[in-house]
Formats: sequence, structure tokens, C-alpha cells
Amino acid sequence: MTAARPAETATANPAEATAEATAEATAEATAATPAATPAGTVARPAATVPAARPGHAPPPPRRVLMKGNEAMAEAAIQAGCDAYFGYPITPQAELLEWMARRMPEEGRVFLQAESELGAINMAYGAAATGARVLVSSSSPGISLMAEAMSYMAAAEVPVVLINVMRGGPGLGSIGPSQSDYLQAVKGHGHGDYRTPVLAPSSINEAVTIVADAFELAERYRTPVVILVDGILGQAMEPVEAGFRTPERASADWVLSGADGRPPRVVKSLHLLPEALERHNLHLQAKFVEIAAREVRWAGEHLDDAELVIVAYGTAARVARTAVARARAKGLAAGLFRPISLWPFPSAALADLAGRVRGFLAVELSAGQMVEDVRLAVSGRRPVAFEGRMGGMVPTPAEVVAALRALDAEAREGGR
Amino acid sequence: MSVEQAPQPRVVFERPELLADRTTTYCPGCGHGVVHRLVAEVLGELGLGPRTIAVAPVGCAVFAYDFLLIDFVEAPHGRAPALATGIRRVRPDAFVLTYQGDGDLAAIGTAEIVHAAGRGEVITAVFVNNGIYGMTGGQMAPTTLLGQRSTSSPGGREAGLHGLPLPMTEMLAVLPGVAFAARGSVADAAAIGRTKAYLRKAAETQLARRGFSIVEILSNCPVGWGMTPLESIQRLRDVVTKAYPPGVIVDRTKPELPASPAGRASAEPASAEPAER
Amino acid sequence: MIATQLAATPSATDLPGPLPGPGAEWRPVLVLVDRCKGCGLCVASCPKEALALEEEVVNVQGYHPVKLVDAGACTSCAICARVCPDCALVILALPKGARR
Repeated sequence: MTAARPAETATANPAEATAEATAEATAEATAATPAATPAGTVARPAATVPAARPGHAPPPPRRVLMKGNEAMAEAAIQAGCDAYFGYPITPQAELLEWMARRMPEEGRVFLQAESELGAINMAYGAAATGARVLVSSSSPGISLMAEAMSYMAAAEVPVVLINVMRGGPGLGSIGPSQSDYLQAVKGHGHGDYRTPVLAPSSINEAVTIVADAFELAERYRTPVVILVDGILGQAMEPVEAGFRTPERASADWVLSGADGRPPRVVKSLHLLPEALERHNLHLQAKFVEIAAREVRWAGEHLDDAELVIVAYGTAARVARTAVARARAKGLAAGLFRPISLWPFPSAALADLAGRVRGFLAVELSAGQMVEDVRLAVSGRRPVAFEGRMGGMVPTPAEVVAALRALDAEAREGGR
Repeated sequence: MSVEQAPQPRVVFERPELLADRTTTYCPGCGHGVVHRLVAEVLGELGLGPRTIAVAPVGCAVFAYDFLLIDFVEAPHGRAPALATGIRRVRPDAFVLTYQGDGDLAAIGTAEIVHAAGRGEVITAVFVNNGIYGMTGGQMAPTTLLGQRSTSSPGGREAGLHGLPLPMTEMLAVLPGVAFAARGSVADAAAIGRTKAYLRKAAETQLARRGFSIVEILSNCPVGWGMTPLESIQRLRDVVTKAYPPGVIVDRTKPELPASPAGRASAEPASAEPAER
Repeated sequence: MIATQLAATPSATDLPGPLPGPGAEWRPVLVLVDRCKGCGLCVASCPKEALALEEEVVNVQGYHPVKLVDAGACTSCAICARVCPDCALVILALPKGARR
């Protein structure tokens, strides 16, 4: 969640426009949901750059051009990541390589596993002992991790997983995509569970989200997924959000050797149906709590919008340009950008459905998030979709054309 | 008979402390019970209970965490060596062991065990090989013997259809990262005693950080083999140990042999001092 | 019909008190009756054939537990206990020089 910093909203930098828009969303959300913790408004400590530790190189200066993969890796290191396990796969190999160089410099653990299957299971073992662990991969490798995600969710083991999505299905392409949305928000693996999924749309935002992901994972004892696409992984942007080291949550469940205490077991097997149901009820209660407290989204030009584009990640940036062009041509367009894909900001979208004329979901896929948009809108307004697949990226012109079509459809519908 | 004086008898055998005082879920006569006890004895004798972190398999021994009084994490099927690697890397002072069956280690988990062994991961794998998939009802395993019937090879294992049984420990022993590999069995009290010695040696190998250690323990599965417990022990002794000869398969902890694998140890020639890892 | 009766309360041994005192009958093998699964491996492994499975009695699990039928032959070698998968046997030995 980009910290709302009103003092820095003067420039036209997209990152700061986001911060400004976030402040806007914050105000809207606060007004709309006066209950205890308004969605989208989470007070964050001001991002700080950790002081140099004796014997170590000082942390990077406040504003540096970084490749997305590397920025996320460094953010994890600065967030106190104890161990990284990974496997080479395009387009995230740079993340692995950054960790290979930097983790030993910091006295932390780096290991390239024999496969993504090995990597995620190493992460499961390490995290079960209380280590702060990061794993990254891309779509085909993520599929190999589905099994372990189910086990870790069931055993309530915190791990942060970054998926730098590429074209699929199968081996697909190495171009960017958002076609793992459903896989991610449905938990990746088998069984009744969800995991928080966060989707930054800039490298700057990704840096903040990495620290947040560790915090969420430990607070709720759950795997947390960061969903980016190949463009965010490969591009270079100025990073000026400070790195943050979240505090460690207390952990009376970690495996450390039964020294002066009863032995502990981290497991997911509960053979008696009554016992497994109890465990599932416990997990479900956790998901309810996460859904109530950890929704994140940002809006731009929503005050007067009649047509709202719903998009996340790189698609949101294309959409932002499309909104600007559409508004210049007299279309009252706005952008609703989910940041938490699970829990999905359904309530805020449902609120919007009360006063806008239509929604356009834009994705780098055949249409996956659009399903959640349709669920939230519940048929009250038309929901259209514009997307490209296989590594292709929708252009602003394509999105504007889709907006016009939506506009026409919404007028025909008389709404 | 009566005791004419009052000298106090001594207990020469009882349940070790790290073994829970409860009835196990294992079938009558199942070798897992013996292996659990040996692990508990060795860990107890070496004082390792307080710092052991163990990884349980999928298989009959998934319940090992109910019977061995140490910290446990339950791995997905076959992944135990990967979990153990993660544990070892972040907890340098822990004693780390996996407890796996033949389906877990030799079928679905072959990549994980090969690479943990290849890295010379400082962990100990306890590999209980009963040549069958017990938990799921007696299907064929990679270590099922030729001609042996199972529910998924009802006509008996055929080389042309199913291939020959895998000698996993011999295969792993080729890797320089394997500091100690041995095969024991629960065929009789003497074999059990030798198996305990192998487990102890494996543990000492880990404590000296010489590399990866594995003890394969040939075991029986009366229900899976369709036999009484006694018949299954007889088959273990007369048939299985002929196909899988017990003994030390490799011991690289001996000073005269080259020490640790390439990349982990220094390039110094072998010396009388065990290489630190 | 086989008569069934519970031989002991759960986790009990078939001997009152922890260890035999003067005048008590010497029993080098204590059976944790309800832990035993009647697998018979101890019976087959005993070099003195001092053990046998109960025929008329079952324990709480439904198995015929083992019993020591020839205490005089027992040398406290503990082979039975070592092959037992269930730690159902506790083995005692007299100190050296003590007479039975």
C-alpha cells in the first residue's frame, strides 16, 4: 500500500500520482465505510532507509533506477528476509541472481534448488522453523508450487511468493501476462483455502508491497503471493519508496528443537473429519478476518467517473493512459485499481456500481479478474472486457475503443 | 522361583524416553515400530532430543510425529529432503533428519533425495524400505522385488513391464556429497543391533558435519505382503536381504578416503582430520 | 467360543509393584499387556522358548498378548524386547551374583 504522503504529490511522476490517488481513495473509503478499519486505509509508518550496519555497505540512496526483479529482491533483503530459494526461469531470473550475490553478503541463506518443487519445499521447511522466507518464480514454475502452497496454507506457515507472470498456458512465452490471476486468487492448490494476493503496478509500489507481504504472512500465518507481470519484472524505474523492515510477529509455534518444552508439530493431516472440519473453520475465520482488514485498492478520477476501468498491475498503467485520453475526448472515465486481488475489493466496486454506468476490465489475459468484477457488480451495470493474451499488451487505443463501445452499450441499456 | 536375598533387579531394556508411551498405529509386527525405537534410542543416547527437527513423510510413518517426542514438520509426499534442506540452511545448530518410506524416497521424491545428497546436505535420511506402498493398501513400489505381487502388480512384478527394483542407496552412494550410506534390516535382533549402529554412525557423521548420511532399513509389511508377521520377517531375512544386501555401502568419513564433495570443502588433500562443513 | 477377559487395566504390567522383592516370584519379562499386538515375533525369537501368546485372553485392542511361560529359562537376553515393534516388553535382570 503506497503510504499516503500529501507533501509529495506535486510532481507528475506516476508513482506520486498514485500516492495522490491513493489519498483520494483513502478519503472516499473513509467516508464510505465508517466502520472500524476502513478498507484501503492502513496507517503505515513512514518508509525509512535502514542505517548502515557496521561492516556492511550502506543501503542504496533514496532514489535509484532499478530493474523490477532486482528492486523486489533488495526490498526483501532490507525487509529482513532470512532465506531465499529459487530456480531459474524467465522473466524472473534476475531476482534469483540478485539474491545469489546479495544474500551471502548479508550473511543470509541463498540456495538455487533443483526445481521449483524443491525451492518451495525448502521454503516450507525453513519457514516452519520461523525464518522469514522468499521464493520467486514465473507461471510454469508456480504451477509446480501449487502443492506446497496448499500444505503451507493448511499448516499455517508464512512464506512470500513472487510470481512474475509470463504467457501461458503450458510453456507459453516469456512475454508478460496476467493469466495466473485465477490460479493465484483461488490459492494455487487443492482444498478450501485462500492466500492474500498483492498486485503492485509500479516498481516503486512493489518495493513497499514486498515488506507488507512479509508482515501479512507472519501476522496471519499464511503464504502471501505478490503477483506481477514480466514487464514489471524486467523494466527499470526510479525507486524512491524507502525499504522497510517489518517487526517479527511472535511465534510460539515454530520448530526450534524441543528444548525444555513439549515437541511441536507443523502438519496438515487431520484424519478425523470432525477434527479437519474444526481446522477448516479456524482457517475460514482467518480468511474472514483478512477480508475485513486487508483490502487494498486505489482510484483515479472516480469522483466524476461514469465509466470505470478496472485493472491491476501493468494493465492499470495502460488504463491510466487510456483514461487520460478518454477524458480529453469528453468521456467521463475513471480507473479502479485493485491492489489486493485477494481479498478482492468487492465492496468498493459494488458501491461504485451504484453510481456509474459501466465497467471495463482490462487484463493481459483472456479475462480472469473480470469474473470477480462481475461478481461484485452483480449484474447492476454492464461489465465489458478488453484484453490481450500470450505476452501481447493492450494498447491505450484499444482500451479507449473498448470504452467507447461500453459507453454505447451503457447508453443503449438506458442506464 | 523366589528371590532369596533382596538385591535390586535392574532394568536392562525399556522404552526409550523419546518414544511416546502410547500404542502406535502400525500393524502388528510392522518394522516401523522397531525403527522408531532405534531412532529414539540413538537420539536419546546422543542427547539430541532438544535440538532435533525432523521431517515426516507421507506413508504409514506420517504418524511418526505422534510417537517420536521431537519437533516435526510433515512434508508433502517425497519432499522431505527439500524441507530438511531448508531447515538445515536456516538452523545451523539443529539436528535434522528425514524419516521416509520407499514410495516417498524412491518414487515421488527421487529428485529431492538425489539433490540433497548431491549437495552433501548435512542431514540424515532414515529410509525404511519395505518394498510396498503400505498406507494406501499394498501397491507396487520402486523397490518391490521381481515376481512380488501387489495390488497394482497382481501378476507379480515383471522386468519388461515394471523394470527392476531400484537400488536407491547404492545410486546415492556414488555422489561425493554422501558421507555415510548403509543398509540395515529388522530381520532379527542381531540385524536390529547393527542397524542401530548404522543410525548412530549416521548421526555422528552429521554432528561432525561431514555431509549427507542415509541409513536404509529393510523392513516388513505383513499386511501389504499378505503374510503373518512371522512369515514376513522370514521373507525379510530369506528373500529381501538377498536382493538388497545389508552393510555399509559407502563411508567417506574414513580419513584415507577423499573428504567432502567438490565445492564444499577446501581443495586440500585428504588428511587424518575430518573436514569441517 | 473363545472366552475373553481383560487381562489388566490399560498400561498395566502383569506384576504388582515395580520390581520384585524378597519372596516374590521372579519375572524377568514384564509385559505391557495392552500395548502388545500379538504379532508373535518375540515368541519366535526367544532362544529359550520362554514366551507364548495367550490363547484365551485378549487385551483392550483385541489381540492375544504374550506372556512369560518359563521364567526359569529366561536369561534376560532381551532379544524379545529388541524385536518387539511396540516396546511392550520390559526386561529385568538380577545383579551379578544374586541367586534365584
